[in-house]
Parts: sequence; C-alpha cells; structure tokens
Amino acid sequence: MIKIRDLEKIYRTEEVETVALNKISIDVKEGEFVAIMGPSGCGKSTLLNILGLLDDPDTGSFLFNNIEVANFNERKRAELRKHNIGFVFQSFNLIDELTVFENVELPLIYTGVKSVDRKKRVEEVLDKMQIMHRRNHYPQQLSGGQQQRVAVARAVVNNPKLILADEPTGNLDSSNGNEVMTLLTDLNEQGTTIIMVTHSEHDARYSHRIIRMLDGQTVLENIMV
Amino acid sequence: MFKNYLKTAWRSIVRNKAFSLINITGLSIGIAASMLLFIVVQYELSYDTFQPDYDRIHRVVTQDKFDKDITYNSGIPVAALEALRAEFPNIQFGALRSIYGSQVTVPSAGNETGNKFIQETGIFFLEPQLFNVFQYNWLAGGPTSLNDPNNVVLDEKTAGKYFGSWQQAMGKTITLDNAIPLKVNGILKNVPANSDLPLEVLISYKTLKQHGPSYNHNENWNSTSSNYNIFALLPPQAKTASINNALLRFSNKQYESRGRNSIKTHFLQPLGMVHFDRRFESFGDHVTSKTTLVTLSLIGLFIILMACVNFINLSTALSVNRSREVGIRKVLGSNRGQLFTQIMSETAVIVGISVIVALGIGYLSLPYIKHIASIQEPLSLFTPKILGMIAGIGIGVTLLAGLYPSFVMSKFNPINALKNKMVSASVRGVSLRRSLVIMQFTISQVLIIATAVAVSQMNYISKADLGFNKESVLVLSGNGDSTFRSKQTAFKQQLMQAPGVQSVSFTSDVPSSGNVWATNFAYNNQPDEKFQVTLKFADVDYIKTFGLQLLAGRNLTESDTTKEAILNETLLKKLGIKNANDVIGKTIRLGQGQSYPIVGVLKDFKTNSLREEIKPLMISTRRSFYSLTAIKLRTHQLAQTQAAVQKIWDRFYPEYAYTASYFDEDIAEFYQQEEQLSLLYKIFAGLAIFISCLGLYGLVSFMAVQKTKEVGIRKVLGASVSSLLQLFSKEFTVLIIISFFIAGPVAWYLMHSWLKNFVYRAPLSGWFFISAIVGSILIAWITVGYKAIRAALANPVKALRSE
Repeated sequence: MIKIRDLEKIYRTEEVETVALNKISIDVKEGEFVAIMGPSGCGKSTLLNILGLLDDPDTGSFLFNNIEVANFNERKRAELRKHNIGFVFQSFNLIDELTVFENVELPLIYTGVKSVDRKKRVEEVLDKMQIMHRRNHYPQQLSGGQQQRVAVARAVVNNPKLILADEPTGNLDSSNGNEVMTLLTDLNEQGTTIIMVTHSEHDARYSHRIIRMLDGQTVLENIMV
Repeated sequence: MFKNYLKTAWRSIVRNKAFSLINITGLSIGIAASMLLFIVVQYELSYDTFQPDYDRIHRVVTQDKFDKDITYNSGIPVAALEALRAEFPNIQFGALRSIYGSQVTVPSAGNETGNKFIQETGIFFLEPQLFNVFQYNWLAGGPTSLNDPNNVVLDEKTAGKYFGSWQQAMGKTITLDNAIPLKVNGILKNVPANSDLPLEVLISYKTLKQHGPSYNHNENWNSTSSNYNIFALLPPQAKTASINNALLRFSNKQYESRGRNSIKTHFLQPLGMVHFDRRFESFGDHVTSKTTLVTLSLIGLFIILMACVNFINLSTALSVNRSREVGIRKVLGSNRGQLFTQIMSETAVIVGISVIVALGIGYLSLPYIKHIASIQEPLSLFTPKILGMIAGIGIGVTLLAGLYPSFVMSKFNPINALKNKMVSASVRGVSLRRSLVIMQFTISQVLIIATAVAVSQMNYISKADLGFNKESVLVLSGNGDSTFRSKQTAFKQQLMQAPGVQSVSFTSDVPSSGNVWATNFAYNNQPDEKFQVTLKFADVDYIKTFGLQLLAGRNLTESDTTKEAILNETLLKKLGIKNANDVIGKTIRLGQGQSYPIVGVLKDFKTNSLREEIKPLMISTRRSFYSLTAIKLRTHQLAQTQAAVQKIWDRFYPEYAYTASYFDEDIAEFYQQEEQLSLLYKIFAGLAIFISCLGLYGLVSFMAVQKTKEVGIRKVLGASVSSLLQLFSKEFTVLIIISFFIAGPVAWYLMHSWLKNFVYRAPLSGWFFISAIVGSILIAWITVGYKAIRAALANPVKALRSE
C-alpha cells in the first residue's frame, strides 16, 4: 500500500539546517498495523505528516497504492487524503464549535456525501464507538477518553484505507488508552491499515511491526509475534 | 456544506463574544452611518430627476462680465423670452416668476377679513407653455387653466390647506395681497419635495402683466431678476454646445445695440445642475454644491472603511487562535477554496447581523438626519432602491472585510496550524495591521481637525462684527402697496408709544440679506462705472435702528421719494476715493435716470453673507419700496413687547397677516448649510473616533492575551506597572504620531480649501492640529489603559502557569 524510497526532508532556517528524514525507505502492506517509535526529534512526526499527505518530501519517492504522490500539489493531496486517510491525534483535535455529531460528520461533508447518508453513517459509527448518547455534546463537555473515541469515529467515518495515529493515547490515562488501542486493533482486524507513532512500548505491542527511528533514519524493525 | 459553515460561524461568534461585539458594533455603526449619508447624497442627487425629459430641460441663465469680476444670475430679462422664441423656433420655452412672502386671503364664513396665509415660497406667475417643458400630474384642469388673467392653479396640499380639500377649492376665489382676485381653475398633484420648482400657487402669467409695477416686474432688456426664470426643452439629439454658441451670438446681437457697461451673455444650464451650481439661485430651499456631496460620500466611505479595518485587524489577529481549527479542516479534506468560502461565510454572517442592527440604527436616526439635512420628503429605508443599496453595502463590506483574513487563514500550513504554531508574527499581518491602524487614525485626525476648523469658523461668523446691530430687531414683512403705505406714519407713531420699542424704520431691505438689487451708475457726472451699485431704500431711522455709523456728512432727510444718497466705504474705495468728506455734495446717477446729491458716507457693514465681499452700496429714501418694518426692541420684556407690536399691527392692518422674525435668526439662516455640515462633521468625527477606539480596544485585548507570558516573566524580573503600561501603549502612540504626519497636511489642505468659500474666515490655527494629535493620543491611552492595567496587575504566577 505504501512504498517510500530514499525520502528526504530538510528544514532550513536562516542559520540552521535540520535533516528531519534522511533518505528513509519503508514499505507498509495493506491491512498491516505498524508502530513507529523513537526519541523526540527523530523524524517520526515528519514521516507521519508525509505519509498523511499533509507535507511533501524534498526528494525521494512515495507510492501510495502504486501512485507516485511525492510531487502532488495541495489540491490533489487534499483530494487523495479525504478519500483514503483518517487521522487520530494525541490532542484529539476536535473542533470546539461543533458537536460530537457534527465533528464526525465533517469528513463526509468534504467528500460530498448526501445529508441523509451522512446522518446514517455518523450514527452507525457513533454507535460502534459507544458514544451515541453524547452526540449533541460539545468536545469540552466530554472526558479525554470520550474525546479520543469521537476522534477515532471521525477518522473512520469515511471508511479510509489507512489510519494514521499520532500518539493516540498520549493524553489519556491507561484505562482510556487501552480502550482506544482496542478500538484501533478492531479496526485493523476489519481490514484497515494503521500506522501509529508512539512513545509507549505497551501500545506498540498492539501492532504487527515496530519501526524504530533515530536521526531521520530507520534503525531497527521488530516483527511482533 | 454551507449550513455547516453558517453553523460554525454562528458558534464562533458566540464563543468570541467580546470580539464579535466589537466587530458587530463597529460594522453596524459604520454601515448605518454610511447608509444614512448615502441616502442624503442620493436624495440630493435625485432633485427633479422625476421629470421625464430631465436630460433635455435647461434653464437659460445670464453671465455679466465686468472689468474685474463676473456675476451670474439665474434670471434673464423678460423681454428676452419672445426674442428667444423667434430665434430658436425648435426649442420649447416656458417662463415663470416667483414672488415671496405674498399674502393669500381665503374667504371664510366666520371671518370677515377671511383666512390669511403668507406664502413665503412656492408662489409663481407662470406661463401655460411651461407645461410643455415640465410634466406634472393634474387632478383637475390642465395647462390651459392658466390661459386667462386672474386664474390660479393650486397644488393638492395648498388647496387642502386653504379650503379643506382640493375638490372644495375648485371654482372658488382667493385674493392675492389684498388686491388681486384669483379664481381656482385647476389642481395640480403635489410636486415631489425633491424639486427646485416647488409649485404650490400658480397664477396665470397674464395676471402679472396687469399688475407688473406691484411686483417690480419690468419687461425691458435692462432689468434682470433672479426671480424670473426661463426654462427650455431642447429637441432630442440637440447639441447643447451649438445652442450655447447660438445663444452667444443672440446675446451679442441683443446687447451690443443697447449700450452696456458689461458683456452680458446667456447660456444653458442643464436642469441636472440647477440644484448644484452655487453661482446661481434656485426656487428650491437650497442649492448644494457637489463638493459637499462628494465630502459626505467620502466621509461615509471612510467610516465604513474604518469598520472594515477593525474587522480585518481583529480577524487576522484572532486567526492565530483559530489556526488549529483550520488545520483540522485541512486534515479532514478541506481544500483552500472551501476554507476560503467558510471564512467568507463567517464574515457574511457578521456583516449580515451588522446590516440588521444598522437598519435598526438607521430607522431610529433617519428622522434626525432628515432634520439636519433639511429633507422634506418622507423617506423610508424600506424601498427597493435603498434596500438594494444596503445589500450592495453589505456585499461590499463582506468582500472588503473578509477577503484578506480568508486569504491568510486558508493559506495556513496544516501541520503548523494543528500544532498551534501559528504565532502572531507568522500570520504576516503585523505590518498590515499597523498600516491599517495608521489609516484609521489618519482618517480620525483629519475629521477631528476638520470639525475643529468648521466649528471655529461657525463661531467666528456668529461672533463676527457685522458692522450693525442685529440683536433684538424684530422685522415685520408686509406688502408695499398703497393701502399699507398710507397708514405707515400712524402705525409708526403707535409703535413708538409701546414701552419696549426703541426705534422703528421702514425699509426695502435689512442691512445684511441675500437680496441683490443692483444697477449701473455714474459718479459725479462722469461716464457709467464698470461695476454696479447695490441699492437699499429706507427711511431716516434706518441708521439708528440698525446702529450704523456715519463716517462723513449727515443722515438722509425724510422724503417719500428719492432725493439724496448715502454711500458706503466700499463704494468709495472702488471709486478710488480716500477721503469720505470728498464725496459729500457730489452726485450719483442711477441707470439712465436722475442724479442725486450725496449727503453722507457710512462705515462699512456686511451687506450680505460672510461668504461674499461687502458690496458697494447706496441707501436712499423711497416710500413705495418699503415693504419691511424693522423695530428695535429694548431687551427686557421682549415677549410682552412683541405681543404689543402684533396687537398694533392687527389694529392697523387687519387684512394683512402678521409675520415677524428676529433679524439675528434670519442672519443665522444664511449659514444653515455650513451649520449642517459642521454638525455632520461633529457627528461623524465622533463616530470615526469611536470606531478607531473600538478597534484599538480589540487589538489591545488580543495583545493582552498574547503577551500574558511576557508580562508574567517581566513582572517576575521586577517590571513596574508603568513600564508594563508603556509596553502596551508605546506601539500605538508611535502609530498615532505617524498618522498625524499624514493627517496634518491633508486636513490643512482640505480645510484651507473649504475656508476659501468665506471671504471672512477664522485663522487656521496650529492649535487645531495640536489638539488633534494630543486628543488622539489621550483617547488611545484611555482605550488601551484599561486592558493594559488589567494585564499589568494580574498575578504573574497565574500568567506563567497559563502558558
């Protein structure tokens, strides 16, 4: 599903040049659950941003479903992203002005799904995430665990092929964290590919494979048995 | 999708209550102010546009070129009418002559002398041919109703006023100035108020021909009165320039043979300019210069621009806080266009709310603005035209205010936006925000200076030494007919016996008025001078009543006819005579008539408004021209004296309506337009300053939040409250000083040009400029102060923890 080769990303300021990704090459197969680990500043988030088509690499190749997307412009990236990729963030990133229902509905609006179908789909997902009873609440009225469940619901509502999770349990206590990890595992078992950046060895154990990074390069890969 | 935009917009407004309130307040006031100003401007521009042949109608006017100056007259010699008809057979001409302050007596069953009405304006002797030029709606009769002498046509409103209803008026007889019976022979539908031809009482022109002398109606080529106008309807496709050339040839042909001391020419003034060309008079209540309308439109535009600036400043500042939302939307698949539309929709929602509030403000303040702008016509905000204009303003403001913030926010990098890394500086709006604040304060300061100058000029005018006594002089208007004149002496004797009356004078004109009665003249048997002399006729008590000062010679001696002359200083200066005593005993000849000995010279007094130079003047006696009675009252018990005067009037002249006014109030009316403009400046300068401060308050509030951490650290390190206040106010103070360097020269140029309208003007003092800058800085400090003090006094531990 994902094939990146010699990907490089360098951040430059007037005086400093920081190599975030140093000719990195990774493959992710469809249906895989991959965890990316490494110390702060090793390039995990940069990699995730590029995989999520939020950022573009300086050099190298990025094949997404056999299509070269490294040089896509913003419009094309947005198009591909909204149909194929769901995101889960450490800080949930829900829109405070929208209710639970409306937050989950948002990706469907951007993909042009009709109102009736949207309602049905959102209700299904909220039901599945066991958050239906909170559908008319605003994010600030929910606990952290509930907010992350809404974020996961929003990530899956479009049936994406790939979910990118950036430290999804980072802001949660262990009980809520486990709940979220179970949700992600369930989704993976239903066929969704998941790439997750984490600092937690515990969470990483839910994945099939752990890629360890240092200074913008992969240094080790653990296959989980 | 759109529903989602609106929903988010509404919730964002509710969430950011303070900023929304600032934006909505500023925009509402801005939209309401510009809406009202545009309504006023649009109303002024609408004058006479209801005429179907508006573009083809012109007035034939007169220009008199003397050696050193040019005078303009909206009138034309009466004799020119038939000559024009003969010379230009393809053009339809129609003439009318206005009279002012005439009395109309309407028979009344219970009142022996009838009901008396003074028609200050709206009364005309009118040719039926005028209706070939102008189109009006008739309720009864038609243009032929004015074919015969002693016929009158009333408009619906006046007919109702006289007889209860127009139906009852038809066929009845009214009396003009207690002398001319007129039969009501037609009823005109009310002429709209936005017309410079306020037709109310229309008397057949043939009636004037029978009573010419009573109304100073002279049918020769030598007399030109602004009360007599000729209008022309040009054939379709006629070229004005070629007709003007033909009129020039016509003028030369007519006047060369008649001997002249000036080059008199006639030309066409388009109907569309009658309301705007202040060189000429109109029959309407005012002539507005297009400069005034442009000034008002610019003020409207500036006010709305300032409100938009607030919106742009606050939105770009706030966008830092909204960056996360933008990031999320981008991650979820929103493209730039969608985000742009979303932010524009939010702007549209805020502008929409502001438009609704503005309509409310407009609705409440429209009567007040109508009063200031002297608009008679009932105006409504809810006409398709005005609603269309308001919608236009709404769309314009949405685009103006929303484009830049939408552009900036939709361009956010999603990764930085998600991480809330968009800091104020990275929004790239800092220099723009500074420029916009400079622009706002430039406009405010220009308006402050303009207001100060306008107010000072108005004060100067009201306090200026006019050279005569204007206080406590009651002026009674009457008719100069023989009945009136026959009782004048006895009337005066009775008045003088009233305890509060100091002196009484009969006159053709008060010392300072808008009237112009001028003629060519010759001094001391020399050829005619190259300028005209203004005439006023008055009895011997004129000098005493108005407190005029004789420089040389003596007062006039009492006479019913013109026997002697008194001149003013300006006339002597124009004649090149330095010593006033030199003219005593010399003669002055008016027109081609008789010569009169000069017996006195008066110290100059202002013969007209302070916009104009003092005119060369001659005063003499002539009872037949005395239509005014000027009464100098003692200042105590004015009301009782006035009541006593009215009682005496009613006893002597039961058939004449009593109309009195105080001379100082009449003079104040000269400057009505300037007063209105000055008032509008005051109101809108106030609004501009308010809107600027609103924006400033918003920016400082935002700055206070942004600087929470910085303030905390500075306090921990020992910063004093005053140094923290400086941190907030320094930048704005610098911006205001920069604004001043732009505003100062602009205001100086504008107000210097405006003051040129006045011959006598207040100095353009440096204090106006100093007060503008000091005032702006003080106002800004007060605005900034509250927020800054709150931020400076906050507990530093709390501030640091919040980070």
